[in-house]
Amino acid sequence: MRVLWNELKKILTWKMLVLLIFINSVLYFLLIEFDIEYFPNGSDMYSYNLGIEMIKKYGITMDRDEFIDFEKTYADDVKKADDYLQSREEFGEEGLETYEKFRDYDWVNRSGKASELRDEVFFNQSVDLFWELQERERLIEFYKWKDSIPERLSKKKQQRFEELIAQKKFGLYPEVAWMNFKRFIANVGIAILFSVVLVISPVILKDRSRQIVPMQYTTKKGRKLFRTKILAGVIATFIVITALLTVYFSLYSLNNTSMFFDVRVNTFIGNESWFDPTFFQFIMLFISGIYIIGLVFGLLSMAFSSLVPNMVSLIGIQIPFVIGFLIIGLYPLLPDMISIWNPKWLSLISYCTIIIIVILFTAVLWKREKKMDIL
Amino acid sequence: MRIFLHECKKALTSPILIALLIVFSAFNIFIIVSSSDHKEELKMVNEIIDRYGREITDDSLKQFQKDIQNDLLELKGITGQQFDSVYVFLDGLRFEEQEQYSDKDWEFINSLQLKEMYFSMANSIDESYAEIDVVAGGQGDLKRYGIGGKAAETYSEENEEFAERFKEMVNNEEHKEWFFAGKSYFMHSFLFKTVFLHIIIESLLLIVLMTALITTYEFENRTQLLTYSTRRGRKLMKDKLAASLAVSTVISLLLFTITLGTYFFLFDYSHVWETSISSAFNWEYNFPNVTWWDLSVGEFLIGVLVLVFIIQLLFSGLTFALSVIVKSSYITFFLFATLFVLGWLLPTFMPKSSNLLFVSSYTLSTLTMAISQSFMGSNGLILFKNFEWMTISCWMVITIVFCAITYKYFRKMDIQ
Amino acid sequence: MIVVKDVSKQYGDFTALQNVNLEFGNGLYGLLAPNGAGKTTLIKMLATLIAPTEGEIFYNGKNINDMDDRYRERLGYLPQQFGYYKNYSPKQYLLYLAALKGIGKKDALDKIEELLEKVALSDVVNKKMKKFSGGMIQRVGIAQALLNDPEILILDEPTAGLDPKERARFRHLLTDLARERLVIISTHIVSDIESIANEIIMIRNKQLLYKDSVADICATLNGCVFETTIDYDQLEDFRKNNILLSEKQEYGNMTVRFIHKGDSEIEWTSVPPHLEDVFLYEYRDELEGDN
Repeated sequence: MRVLWNELKKILTWKMLVLLIFINSVLYFLLIEFDIEYFPNGSDMYSYNLGIEMIKKYGITMDRDEFIDFEKTYADDVKKADDYLQSREEFGEEGLETYEKFRDYDWVNRSGKASELRDEVFFNQSVDLFWELQERERLIEFYKWKDSIPERLSKKKQQRFEELIAQKKFGLYPEVAWMNFKRFIANVGIAILFSVVLVISPVILKDRSRQIVPMQYTTKKGRKLFRTKILAGVIATFIVITALLTVYFSLYSLNNTSMFFDVRVNTFIGNESWFDPTFFQFIMLFISGIYIIGLVFGLLSMAFSSLVPNMVSLIGIQIPFVIGFLIIGLYPLLPDMISIWNPKWLSLISYCTIIIIVILFTAVLWKREKKMDIL
Repeated sequence: MRIFLHECKKALTSPILIALLIVFSAFNIFIIVSSSDHKEELKMVNEIIDRYGREITDDSLKQFQKDIQNDLLELKGITGQQFDSVYVFLDGLRFEEQEQYSDKDWEFINSLQLKEMYFSMANSIDESYAEIDVVAGGQGDLKRYGIGGKAAETYSEENEEFAERFKEMVNNEEHKEWFFAGKSYFMHSFLFKTVFLHIIIESLLLIVLMTALITTYEFENRTQLLTYSTRRGRKLMKDKLAASLAVSTVISLLLFTITLGTYFFLFDYSHVWETSISSAFNWEYNFPNVTWWDLSVGEFLIGVLVLVFIIQLLFSGLTFALSVIVKSSYITFFLFATLFVLGWLLPTFMPKSSNLLFVSSYTLSTLTMAISQSFMGSNGLILFKNFEWMTISCWMVITIVFCAITYKYFRKMDIQ
Repeated sequence: MIVVKDVSKQYGDFTALQNVNLEFGNGLYGLLAPNGAGKTTLIKMLATLIAPTEGEIFYNGKNINDMDDRYRERLGYLPQQFGYYKNYSPKQYLLYLAALKGIGKKDALDKIEELLEKVALSDVVNKKMKKFSGGMIQRVGIAQALLNDPEILILDEPTAGLDPKERARFRHLLTDLARERLVIISTHIVSDIESIANEIIMIRNKQLLYKDSVADICATLNGCVFETTIDYDQLEDFRKNNILLSEKQEYGNMTVRFIHKGDSEIEWTSVPPHLEDVFLYEYRDELEGDN
């Protein structure tokens, strides 16, 4: 235990923690800040508010009766818009006396005056009503298409779509909060990946290059210390991930999306998935995913750390792995891990594969270390 | 000289760096090859230039139109119907009718389609450019980004100057030259953004690693007591700096040669070297690419290459200074990467009404990331005419001073 | 008791040790050989850091590699070069190694205090080691080897960096320790062990040359070591006919110490051989190669 504690202290030094905080602050501003600071962004506000209203009114799904009520609210709002348009003569002059006309107006070949009026409504005065109407229209549109299946799908995907329709799991709720979370977690994933690699990489190489290994391996503990070092690395990875997740999720809580947490993922627009967890369950899924990825990269870093001759090689050899993962692995394994647009078991199989590979790799290295001549 | 070569050897014989160089080259080649589906279509521009000359004139357009009419007649021969445009034919074409035509017919139809596209784009140049109001656009940008106060003044001033240049450019008809259709192929962005940024970031990774390796080599191999007490002594750091710069040059030269070699092997630029980079066809997004000076595609490429090489040497110098202080190649690497990003983000931390907003964008990071828009007035908030040379000169001074200070510090430092 | 049985070590094509057989009981052994003779290889094998290519090493009849931690907990080892954490104090550093050696923290603290006293570092217990001189670091290394009160103590070049006073203190410490332990010291500084070693082990050409007491080893040259005074001009000739051990200038003449087998001349004074004489004699080929 004391040995483990000592090794842990060697990994999580003050210097390293300062560097870790510095790098994460920069990564925060580069990757994450936008999705916290600007949420909901611009007109997404109306989408977000409407979503909350729907959950309050209809719960986490919307049946036919509730949809009729939804349409009724829309009709009421249209009436309000009509009133607004009629109260302003300018609109009448341009032939925009009702909302219907306003909506169907040929904005592409617009007249200058009409265009000005439209900008006024949407941008200069920003009449909320018009934005809300647009959002409601969008949702009604999705409701109309709820039973249709995209063309040219693989058999399994088609089956899944049919299954969802049969179970009346339609994507009808505004997806802003969901999309925001997906971007957020992908970026948190990147920050955590870099942090883990930064902290864990030097673990084993450092003792080797400081020539401490001969003394370590002639003590009672002997070469088993290698295993302790790996364990310490794993614990340190765990600590780093937990700390960062705590910080980043506290920041995320500022986004105020908890009212969406009970909504099932298939209920968000355009988000058909192989499984149907709630938003909150998905967050848990994500957190387990990030722990696995973090631990895998932590172990990988330690493996390289016990193979390469110097620090530059240690960084160099990891660049292709980290970048390669960011390019091909990050999205399928984190935000899109249950998305219908990837094969159903892709993420699970990938997770298992990388775990097995890394464990085998580490085992081989342990075997090697047990027998190796320390020169 | 021998010392210098020894130092170079330390980096160049490092297996991991050679492996990375190979991986990076392969990756770049992959990216270029996998986006080269349209390389045959691009040859249309070469044909057009061969036929009508590089510059677009009323006469040549008339000739072009006549040729298209002839082609349409030929199309009638194939289809048995008269069309005003090949697009009309294609729109009316049903799926099952496609098989009626031979491959050769399709080749003809496709090339006619391209010709019509280029022709109609060329025809609409005047109209599109007449709609552009640089000053108003600038005001719109200010509003959109929420910029006010002194910053807005500075920006407007520069933007007005750019409006002048824009007018001059239009009068010179720099924009009336043939180039690959930007809105269809995005060749400028592909080359100067995608490809260049890949090369730049990859060579930066290598350069930082190599420089850090060379500089901290003695400390990490515990030879510092020997090497720095030799006759050459601490002046060895000078050799290390020189070696870092040389190795950086070699590395980026290699990456550039391999990658750009592949690029120009696949994409035939032979006819467009002299086309102005401000060509109307090089208009990809909301605003056309317009440079402050009358630059051809070839000149622009050389300009950007020179810029990139200087930037990389400066980064190598900065890494050198950083690693002399930090003494650990590992920490140097991560610090450098973080500082690079910080340099890029700097303007976002500045008040939007102060000139600091612009001053803080004169960093090597920003210059690097915006390399595809170098020398251009159409470069958003960093449209400044002096942006490139100012950034380079300032950072050259900073780098030299920083290196000199760290060298002095190193000469007096206790080596244990 | 340690038994080295038919041990060879090869690195690829290169043979570092060939067919070495040795036995160690309690007492102090000096391992004497020039650099590159395979000294460190033997030591590292005794410390389980490298494994023999052929043969085995036993401790009390059991293979040391099979004994694993039961062997190493009896072992104290000081490598020729060893690393340390710059930002650790000797106390932190020794606590760290004590943990690895499986010593309880309380016991370790007492032991560390005692040992740092012994190696005269009591006044820098909590100072960071990056400020230490070479001799101080070396003494921390010695203390570390003694932490677990080892039955087997292996020291590779332990006196490097120590000043004469420290050396003397170290010799006392060793004689003390060797009373109930097995101590192996590798060195090429003959004077360090000549007076204290029970037995000397010499390795030549990858093989064991001597394993005997100092007296017995010296006896091999009995009657062959002489001293005499000659003219400086004669030196070259003299060197050709005899094996020179040392030379000293005195009043324009040279006093030389040399080995001669066969008839002696009258003006030569026969002197008792020292261990150093044997060393120089046996390794004359290797040593000349160095010059």
